[in-house]
Formats: sequence, C-alpha cells, structure tokens
Amino acid sequence: MVSLAQTHRLASGGLIDRSAPLNFSFDGKILAGFQGDTLASALIANGVKLVGRSFKYHRPRGILTAGSEEPNALVELRTGARREPNTKATTAELYDGLEAASQNRWPSLRHDLMAVNQLFAPIFVAGFYYKTFMWPAKFWEAIYEPAIRRAAGLGRAAGVADPDHYDKAWAHCDVLIAGSGPAGLAAALAAGRSGARVILCEEDFALGGRLLADGGTIDRVPAAEWIARTLAELATLPDVRIMSRTTLFGVYDGGTYGAIERVNDHLPSPPEHQVRQRLWRIVAKRSIVAAGAIERPVVFAGNDTPGVMMASAMRTYVERYAATPARRVALFTNNEDGWRTAETALRAGLQIAAVVDARPEVSAAHRALAAKAGFPVLNGSVVGVDGGKDGVRKIAVSLTGGARAEVEADGLAVSGGWNPAVGLTSYHRGRPKWQDDISAFVPDSAPPGMVAAGAANGAFGLGACLSQGFAAGAAAAQSAGCSGTAGTPPVADDEAFSLTPLWHVAGKGKAFVDHQHDVTASDIELAQREGFESVEHLKRYTTLGMATDQGKTSNVAGLAIMAAVSGRSIPETGTTIYRPPYVPVAIGAFAGHHRDENFHATRLTPSHHWAAEQGAIFVDTGLWKRAQWYPRAGEKDWLESVTREVKAVRSGVGFCDVSTLGKIDVHGPDAGAFLDRVYINTFSNLAVGKARYGLMLREDGMVYDDGTTSRLAEDHYFLTTTTAKAGPVMQHLEFCRQVLFPELDVQLTSVSDQWAQFSVAGPKTRDLLRKIVDPAEDLSNEGFPFMGAREVSLRGGIKARLFRISFSGEMAFEISVPARYGDALVRNLMLAGKRFGVTPYGTEALGVMRIEKGHVAGPELNGTTTAADLGLAKMMSTKKDFIGRAMAGREALAAADRQVVVGIKPTDKMRRLRSGAHVIPKGEIPGPDNDQGYVASVCFSPTLDQWIGLALVERGRERIGEIVHAHDPLRGEDYDVELCNSVFYDPDGGRQRG
Amino acid sequence: MRIVCPFCGERELGEFTYLGDAKPVRPAAGASEDEVFDYVYLRDNVAGETSEHWYHGGGCRAWLKIARNTLTHEISSVEPAAGVGAAKVGA
Amino acid sequence: MAEFSWVSRSPLQHALVAGAYGARDVEPGVSLTEVRNFELIQIMARRGRWADLASAAKTRFGVAAPDVPKAIQSPDAALIWSGPDQFLVLSKGGKHTFAPLSQAFSQSASLSDQSHARALIGVSGAKARTMLAKLSSIDLHPTVFPIGAAAATSIDHTSVNLWRGNDRPDGQAVFNLLVFATFAESLWHTILDAAAEYGVSIAYAEELA
Repeated sequence: MVSLAQTHRLASGGLIDRSAPLNFSFDGKILAGFQGDTLASALIANGVKLVGRSFKYHRPRGILTAGSEEPNALVELRTGARREPNTKATTAELYDGLEAASQNRWPSLRHDLMAVNQLFAPIFVAGFYYKTFMWPAKFWEAIYEPAIRRAAGLGRAAGVADPDHYDKAWAHCDVLIAGSGPAGLAAALAAGRSGARVILCEEDFALGGRLLADGGTIDRVPAAEWIARTLAELATLPDVRIMSRTTLFGVYDGGTYGAIERVNDHLPSPPEHQVRQRLWRIVAKRSIVAAGAIERPVVFAGNDTPGVMMASAMRTYVERYAATPARRVALFTNNEDGWRTAETALRAGLQIAAVVDARPEVSAAHRALAAKAGFPVLNGSVVGVDGGKDGVRKIAVSLTGGARAEVEADGLAVSGGWNPAVGLTSYHRGRPKWQDDISAFVPDSAPPGMVAAGAANGAFGLGACLSQGFAAGAAAAQSAGCSGTAGTPPVADDEAFSLTPLWHVAGKGKAFVDHQHDVTASDIELAQREGFESVEHLKRYTTLGMATDQGKTSNVAGLAIMAAVSGRSIPETGTTIYRPPYVPVAIGAFAGHHRDENFHATRLTPSHHWAAEQGAIFVDTGLWKRAQWYPRAGEKDWLESVTREVKAVRSGVGFCDVSTLGKIDVHGPDAGAFLDRVYINTFSNLAVGKARYGLMLREDGMVYDDGTTSRLAEDHYFLTTTTAKAGPVMQHLEFCRQVLFPELDVQLTSVSDQWAQFSVAGPKTRDLLRKIVDPAEDLSNEGFPFMGAREVSLRGGIKARLFRISFSGEMAFEISVPARYGDALVRNLMLAGKRFGVTPYGTEALGVMRIEKGHVAGPELNGTTTAADLGLAKMMSTKKDFIGRAMAGREALAAADRQVVVGIKPTDKMRRLRSGAHVIPKGEIPGPDNDQGYVASVCFSPTLDQWIGLALVERGRERIGEIVHAHDPLRGEDYDVELCNSVFYDPDGGRQRG
Repeated sequence: MRIVCPFCGERELGEFTYLGDAKPVRPAAGASEDEVFDYVYLRDNVAGETSEHWYHGGGCRAWLKIARNTLTHEISSVEPAAGVGAAKVGA
Repeated sequence: MAEFSWVSRSPLQHALVAGAYGARDVEPGVSLTEVRNFELIQIMARRGRWADLASAAKTRFGVAAPDVPKAIQSPDAALIWSGPDQFLVLSKGGKHTFAPLSQAFSQSASLSDQSHARALIGVSGAKARTMLAKLSSIDLHPTVFPIGAAAATSIDHTSVNLWRGNDRPDGQAVFNLLVFATFAESLWHTILDAAAEYGVSIAYAEELA
C-alpha cells in the first residue's frame, strides 16, 4: 500500500486512516502520508525535521507546535496561481498530490546562503532597521528596502489572480461556541439540550480538541467514545450546527462574530461550483469561548533547533498521528502536565533520554516511573542545545546546585506551562488578568454576551473543563431565552498541574522568544536598556508578536522577560492590546463574490441590451453601464463617432437613454411647499403640466444638485436628479421630510426604475415623435410649448409622459414609458425614425452638446461652487427660506473675485483642450499666487469645429474676450485661451423653443 | 454593529447610513447668520453618550435618532425621527 | 401607418435561461422562478390618515393593511409592508392597477406605480435558506421568519423586499424577492453564483405563486 517508507510512523494507533495512503511532495521530494495527517505530521512521519529558514537570520527551523499557533513551520503550499505563502504545515491538511516548498532560503533549504546573516547577527538586533538605514533618505526606497525584502521576508505570493471562488454568508444563533474540546462540547450539549440554536466552530478538521491527543476518561468511558456519543446526541438536536475547519477570528459590536471556514482547503482544488473558503458573519445572542490554551515555551539558548518541540505537540504527533518526532526524547518541563509527554513516549515505545524538571520537587509517582523505565530525572534547566539543520543532538543542562549535565537525544519536548487563549475575550480592548496558580493571564472581562470556559478560562483540569463548559452552555441558553433543561453534566477527574514559573534560562547563544520574527531574549533586554519599557513600545521596536502568528507562543514569554529586566511583576508589565483576526484571513474571503465584474452591483438601463446589439461602447458611471457612443464601421476613433452623433442631432434627430437620472415622485398636499424649501427657486407656483429647472444647495450654501421637476397634478410633482446624486438626493429629501419639516404632508417614492426615459433631440424631433405618438396629441409649439410636461398616448395603446425640456439646446422632448416598454420604445424610435436618419447617441455626444450649450454638469457641480458661480444667482428666491439660503449669503460666498463658470476657446483653433489645466494671467509665470482657476469641462465641438470648454475662473464673466494662459503641468502643456460666453450654441435659445 | 430599527427590528450596520450629531436644531427662517453657522458647522466631539442621526436606507427608509456611547459603542435608544409615522398623528 | 408593437420585456429577459444551472449531479437544491408582468402599487398614507387608509384597504382588499413587517394575502393581491405608513400591493391580471387604486385611496394616501420598477423572484428548495444566507443578513429561521413575515432589507447593498409566501405543496418554504429592475440582472448573477453549488432549477411564470 505505502510505496514509500514512513520511517517515523508507529505501526499502529492514531486517528489516521491507514487505508487511505496519500503521496505528497516537499521541496520536490515525494513523500507519503495518510488521510487524517496534517502536512506537519506527515513530514514528521517521514523523518523530516528541517522545514524552513528563519525570517532574519535564516536559521534552520523545524516544527514547534501542532496547531494554529505555529511560528516556524511555514511553507508555500500548492503551485502556480494557487501558490499560498506562509501556510502553517501544522494546520494544512494532507491531500493526495499536495505540493509544498520551504521558503526564505536560497538556493536550497539545506544550503541556504543567506544563513550568512547569522554572522552579522550582532547588528541585526532590535531596532536594527531604524538605526541602520536612516540616511540618506532617498536610499531607503531605492536600495535598502528592496535589498532587505529580498534577504528577509517570508514566502512568495502567487503573483497572478486567485482562480478560486470565495463567498460570504450570515448565520444566526442563540449560543455560539468557539472550540470543540471538552468545554466546548459540554457547552454545546447543555445549550442544545436547553433548546438553543447553537453554532460550534472548530478550527481543526477533527472534533475533540486536546482530547484527541490527551484522551482521558469522561463519564467512565474513554474520551474518544465520549466524543462520539456526544456528537451523536448533538446530531439529534434540531438546531445545533457543528462547523469544523472554521476559525472564529473576530468579535465585533452587537454580538457579531467573524469566522473563516476552510471549505475546500483540504482538497487540491475546490470541486466545480464550490468555494475555496467562506467568510461567516455570525450573529449570536451569547457566546462561549472554549478555545483552550496554548502551551508556552521556555526561552533558552538553541531553543529554535529543529527537534525542539512543545511537549503537548509531541503528544499530539504521537497519539493522534502515530508519528514520532524523535526516537530518543528529552523532556524539559516546569509543570506536571509536561510529564504526560514522557508517559506518551513510553507508551509509544520511544526512549526517554532524561526528564529535566525545573521545579524543586518531582512527585514520587514520576520518580517511580523514571526508575521503572530507566531514565534520569534531572532537577534543573536546559541551557543549551547542540544541533543544527539535522536537529537536536545533545542538550546541556544546568542542574540545581550549579553542576552541568549533558543529555544525548534527537528530540526535546518543552513545557513552560499553558496560556489560556484570551484573544477572543480581549478583542473589545479587554485586558486579561494575571492568575498566580497557573502563572498565566486569564480573561477578566469579555465583550457583551461572551464568557470563557475551560482552559480558555484558566481551568486546565478535564473535570473543570467539562463542568465549566456545561454550566456556561446552560446559562447562555437560559439568558438567550431558552427554557429547556440541560440535563446531567458530563464528569471527569481533574489532573494535577503544579507549575513553578520559568520563562527564560540564561545561557550562551541565541535564545528565541518570537521564532517567526527572530526576536531573542537579548533583543528584549536591549530594548529595555534603550528605554522601551511599555509593552506596546517593546512590541513595535522589537517586532515581537507582530508576525503572522501574532505571538501566540511568544507574547507572554516576551513580557515576562521584560518584567524581569525592568524589575516589575508580569501583571504590572501588562499585555499589549489584542486585535482580530485571530488567524490570518485571505483577502479573497473578505471580498467573496465581489471581485472582477462582480466588484459591485451593476445597473442596466432599459435599452441596455438593444444598445449592446448596436455595438455601443459602455462607460461605468457610478453603478451604471451607459452607452458612451455607438461606433459605426469605418470610424477610426471615438471622436469621429461622437462628432457624427452630434452633427446628426443638430441637423436631424437623435435619441439618448437618460433613464439613469434619479426620478422621484413627490406627492401630497404640501408637495409644493416642500419643494420650495429644498430648491432655491419656487415650485409651489408651477402650473400643472409644466416643468421647471431647479437647483438645490447644501445647507452650507454650495450647490448640491440640479434637475428638472414637473408638476403632473396639483399634489404630484415628478422630480429628477443627476445620475450621480440620485441616491444621495433621495436620502437628503427623506431627511428634509422626516427630520427637518415633519409638519409637511408630503410623501416621496423613488420611481427611477419605473420609467425608461429617452431624450429625443434635433430639428426633426417632432416629425419623429408624430410617428410614435397618437395623432390626436398636439405636439405643436402652441399645443406643447417649451417646458410643457404631460401624459400622452402612443400609437398602439400605451401611455407615455412627454417633457419638453432640452439639455442639448435643440428642439427636444424627453419621453418616458414604463420600463418594461423601454426596449420596445427604442426599437420603435429606430423604426419610425429611419426616414429621418434617426441616430442614437451616447453620453459623450450628450456631454459635447451640453458644453456647447453651456449647461453645467458634474465637473462644475463639484461641491465647491455656488449658484452665483454657475451664473444662476437669479434663481435664488428672496421670498422664502430654503436649504442653504443663510450660508449662501456669507461674504466669501458672494465675493466678487470668486471663480465662476466661463467659456474658453483656444487662440490656436487647431489646439486640443484638456480639463484640469490651470488658468493663469497671460504673460505671467505660473505659480500658486496667480492661479486664477481651472478648466472644468472640454470637448471638440463639431458645431464650432474646434475645441471648447467651460472653466471656473476668477471674475470670469467680467473678463469675456481676455486672453489667458492655460498651464497643464501634468501633461506638460501650455497654451493661450480666450475667455468667452459659456453658451457657445444658440445663445438666444431659439432652437429649443422653436 | 447592529441597530434595532423601531420598525424592522435588529439589522446589521450595512443597512444604515450615519449622518451626524442629532442635537443641533435647524434654525427657523430669518435666524441670524451666526445661528445658522453654528447649526451647520459646530459639533461637540463627545467621548460618551451622543445623539446621532442614522438613516435606514437599506431597509424601511426611516430616519432614526440613536443614542450611542462613543466609548463603548453601546446603543441605548433608537427613536424614529419626528416625521416618521406621521400617518398616525392625531390617531 | 403601421401600429407599433409594445412588447413588454422583463428586466431578467436577457439573463434568465430556463432550465438547470450549477451542480448537475444533485437534485437541484434551489428553485428560482421569475414572475413576469405583475402590477405593483406603492401606497403611502398621508399625514394623520392611517385610520382612513386602513379602512379603505379593508374595503378594497378584504384584509387589514399591514402595519408591521408582514405580507398579508388577500384573495387576489398580496399587501406587503414596505416601511412605516406604507405598503405595496402586488397583483396580477389588472385587478388592482394604478388608476382604480388611486380612486380608492384618493382621500387617504399617495400612490406610486412601481409595476415596472421591480423584478419578482421566488426562491424555494431544500437549500433556499442556505443560499439566501449568503445574500441576506437577516435571520430566515422558521421560528423568526414564518409564513407571512416580510422585510425591507438589502442584498448586495441594493434595497429589496423579501417576504415568505405560502409553503410549496411539498412543504418547502418559498421566499419572494422584489428587486429593483435596473439592478435585477446583476443581482440575478449574484444569486446564481450563490446557488450554483446546490444545483439550481430556473423558470419563469406569468402567475403569482
């Protein structure tokens, strides 16, 4: 079955599926493992000890832990577009064909030339970058940073788009539980039995937490049997949902939690239609953090040598994966729990070289065990490790009393005690408190609705975990309003813990606190000497705990060392602030569906698919896709198409979809009074059947939006906004209605999507419309004068609205039909207009014609202009209050030297204009002191056969005819332009009124 | 963050838009420029309990007045703006 | 002069392809049915006129106007709460078009025709809730969102009206979604993306479910 030898795999045992062998590769070498392995356990089973090089010194590194706290064993997983750097081998599930590569080494893992950095170790101390690469400043970006990034750093990103899909989902529950260890399962049992909707998240692919490695007896059956029994019961409860491969990573306001589900990370690639990962936002009335505890290292010289491993991790590899990290194991502990690893090793038939116990007393039972198994128990501490890239060979021990001893071993298990996983409970800036009996921080407060239970709460005994979890589950269900009964709690005995704190053993050689960022004990001591005593400063100066593991194995040890050197207690020294995410979360998961063409929702006009059939070029305007121009065969560029469209409108007839304008029904007896307050001009006196151009200000006096509003009935106005401001204006009007003027009887509804609206413009507009509109409707200038607005019947039976308004300056109507007829309307316009050469035009031609006509649009309505700046001061009623009235009267807003809208033409008729150019007095050298404004909108005017524009220029309207200088440093252009009337086309308005 | 809309029930933050301080009251027509200036520009930067305007634009379109603590993010009350539910005025 | 034909075109006409979509090796977990050519009228009570509106609604529809987030089924229309003091009337076949309703409510309400402003999508199937959890932030658990529950909410930052209709004959829940017409195609693709892994069966109908 297994073609390749797994030299360090036990013959039996473990939770791996030996009937499902898997092949994988590491740095190109083919290795074998089993279903149920992690990459780390499979590497261990194959005798691989060296898995990576460290960040700064390129020191050989192995596997330190068996979970998501791993700082060392980071690999590049997968290849090509799916290559994922900095993946923890300890959590990556093995699959057939998995490809992993070590990172941060060159040319190879065993012969890493960058290891030369170790020779320069004395200069790579805390604050090295700050001290060394200060001057000259311009060297930083050009030389220092690229060089440092090549030498240091972690894995390589794929560099191409991620081919996989991610999505996001919401979940809701009464009780959310983090962790499926004894506390978490007991909590789920109690909450579920009480009738609560329960979600339990477990980051591992197997459920049981430490029970999977440490076993034990619960309710008088082996832990494995209890897990199976519990899961079976939970499966019968209707609203208990167990989510494995799911890490709860963040806690947000109002009982919202973030979780990342690795749906298909355990497969080479997601099956068709499935996602790689799913980001969950979970809304929970109550939550229970049963996330366990993380075993912490002791800091001693050589503690980063491959083969040095957390004691609990070693148990996990042996018990859960039947993989032996060493054959002759030394154990270094300061607590009772560490001794379990000795028991595990013996059971697995491994040799024990020695147990080094830092405590003054070792229990009689352990002494007896040692005697029976024939290994020495050394009272003292490990002070050094002899070994390199091939792993631990020899361990130096300093015995209590001063004597030295050496122990030969190929693996060293270390236990410095356990730190409760206080991350989730501290994400609302909660600071954990110090608990002396376990020498660890435990949660003090927690975000609203959250409690910690079990090891996460500092209760390390199995019995305590079960009872705390069960009680928390029952209480959470109760307070979430569930009235069922939790029944009988599971019971187990508590084991002894008995720890004597030990953080750092002084010795010769580098002693690592933060393995991932290569922060040593002496870095912390140096930082303290240089005055960085606050833990927040210490963290940032040394980068302790700032790597992708967020210091899960290093933070507490780091501040314990800081406490020791600064002569304070650990609680006095305090912790840094905890922030989510608890584990790195892929950006792709945060984006979910929202990437590429789905980056945001898209709005399509009713004529969109017709326009697409015509080959229209579309432009994104906000969420909309709008037809920008309609190219025809043989046209060489956009300008040619747009010029043709403009000429066709000016000489015949064309139409443009303007459905994107915001459209709002304003109803009610006070509709007119309401509009009088939101517009600067008066609408209450508008006759039914008439339209009027209106201008809105912000309360600060600047122009907010403009548009045409028609009165369709005594108590019904139809208001239009610009495309860009449709949503904001609706929100603003609702604010006015609900907050500012609650006494008015007025109702607002968006009808933007109800109407397909087209501008039909040009001298032949009436000819065309007469083919569409019922012959009984009078479209003559008398029957339907300029600014008229009313409902008409169309041939074939449907109703439409006609508005005689013009943005182009031509004789024009806007026609609107219920949106589902929009497609039919364009097709009918094309059909009826064939004999008139009807021409669909896009937003570019629309823009050209509005500039020719001097109408302001977005570039001029830019939030810094007043009605007077736009030449619309006369619209401002003096007879009423309206939004912005008072502030518009401020001195500066009425100043004579304001930049106002004016037309511009290049003095050289052949020259192209560009918006953004600065306007400077002619003959002066451009500078901030003589900058008199800027060019806002430009176009090539087919009507004038030259480029024209609208500019905002100081006193512009008083300077008509003056030649000024246009300075465009961005494009390196300088040229003269003449200030002119902003209405280039038909200044008397005869055409649109005709 | 979650806001309990008085009409829709508890909803997630994304359905709401924040406007700002709800304390300033728009001066009546004819108020002095200074009064209007204060209304438009002057805001307290409160560390603690504030009253804010929020818009449930992604839901029922009601403007809401929310009492919120800027230190704890705790929301102590949510009330509809004066003009919401006007149909039941006098009922 | 030839009369023009005025063919009504649904905002989903282009995007909706009837049949199967997504995972094929499973029984479709999600059924999507677009209902076309409906009448939808927004009714907003005027100031102080809720009582009049309620009584006019009772006369016209035989059921109470919804005053809380609910959808109330009358024999020939659904009255769907859409906000304080307002609701939507959804019907088919010209029974409750804009003109007669404007007459019926002329004393008490402002009306706005939304018949063309929305697309109506029915979502059902064994995975309907699971799929909707990807789109909607609201809790659709049967105890929280029973038959007749309605919500004015957002999907993909786009306003929607979501309500639970009567269960299908096979007992599956039915969720109705009214989405804005110009967003409909984009939202449709978002829905298909969310549903693809469960297998989708797609149809359109001229009748309300």
